[in-house]
Amino acid sequence: MDKIDLHIIEKLTNDARMSFRKIAEELKISPDTVINRFQKLQENGVIRGSTVVINPKKVGYHCMTAFLIDASSMHILGNEANPVDSSLILDKLISMPNIILATKTVGDHDLLAIGVARDFQHLMHMSHEIARIPGVKDIQVSFWVEKSSLCPKYFIV
Amino acid sequence: MARGIQVDEIDVNILRALQRDARHNFADIAKNCDVSTDTISKRFKKMKKAGIIRGTTILVNPKSFGYDCVASIGVDVSLPRLNEVVELIQTIPEIVFFTTSIGREDIFCIAVLKNVGKLSQIKDLIKGHPLVRNVTTTIWVDEILLCPENFEFKHLGK
Repeated sequence: MDKIDLHIIEKLTNDARMSFRKIAEELKISPDTVINRFQKLQENGVIRGSTVVINPKKVGYHCMTAFLIDASSMHILGNEANPVDSSLILDKLISMPNIILATKTVGDHDLLAIGVARDFQHLMHMSHEIARIPGVKDIQVSFWVEKSSLCPKYFIV
Repeated sequence: MARGIQVDEIDVNILRALQRDARHNFADIAKNCDVSTDTISKRFKKMKKAGIIRGTTILVNPKSFGYDCVASIGVDVSLPRLNEVVELIQTIPEIVFFTTSIGREDIFCIAVLKNVGKLSQIKDLIKGHPLVRNVTTTIWVDEILLCPENFEFKHLGK
């Protein structure tokens, strides 16, 4: 990555819809170069995608929560005990409505998911849905009170 | 539900399209909604002004910038002097996100770090604060799945 790439990344981090023409003008290069660089950054996995940042409270979501999940070592299906594959839990988690991030973890828990819920009742419902995933042993909920983003320069949740 | 801000089907369509791809062409969205491109662009501006849309951004891979470790940090504090610990956390540049929380811990943070050694340093730094009772760290394994489009809007609009 060179200065041009970093400039493109910086501009698009602040406004993903910024026109390539405008970025090109700033850098005094051709729009085609910007488009090529953008495509290359995508191909190399530096840029994973783009999205709109929504204020959850304004659309009726008043609860943001981290679910800290423990997997059991075995799960019983009929008479058989099978080792739990946490990848399967991960797949189930990320396909659940209103779970916006999920990852396997090392340390205190086995998996972590971040979700948005409309209210406490909805949160309880989500928690129960997660508990129903085969292999999930325990869930701890960390209910976010006040959200403060600091420097989401390289990483946006 | 949306506290005085009216969001209709067209707005929801815009949000849906942009969640998947923030650079989605307004003309395409307009065609799908059977309205003019100008309407879409006006709606987008309206939602931005109302604070529903905070902005648009690209999702980058921290590893490409030499940040090999993503972790969450839970901080257990002697209440009620939470703010003093928050002040310390605010000064740590590796912590990209934090929130006070109810439940398992009092403060939940997400940190993006060059390596695990740095995580250990930050853990010690937070633990060194006299009001901090305990710090737990959880390292996120490689594949962090982001799925902003899981956000449902069923309860809005109609």
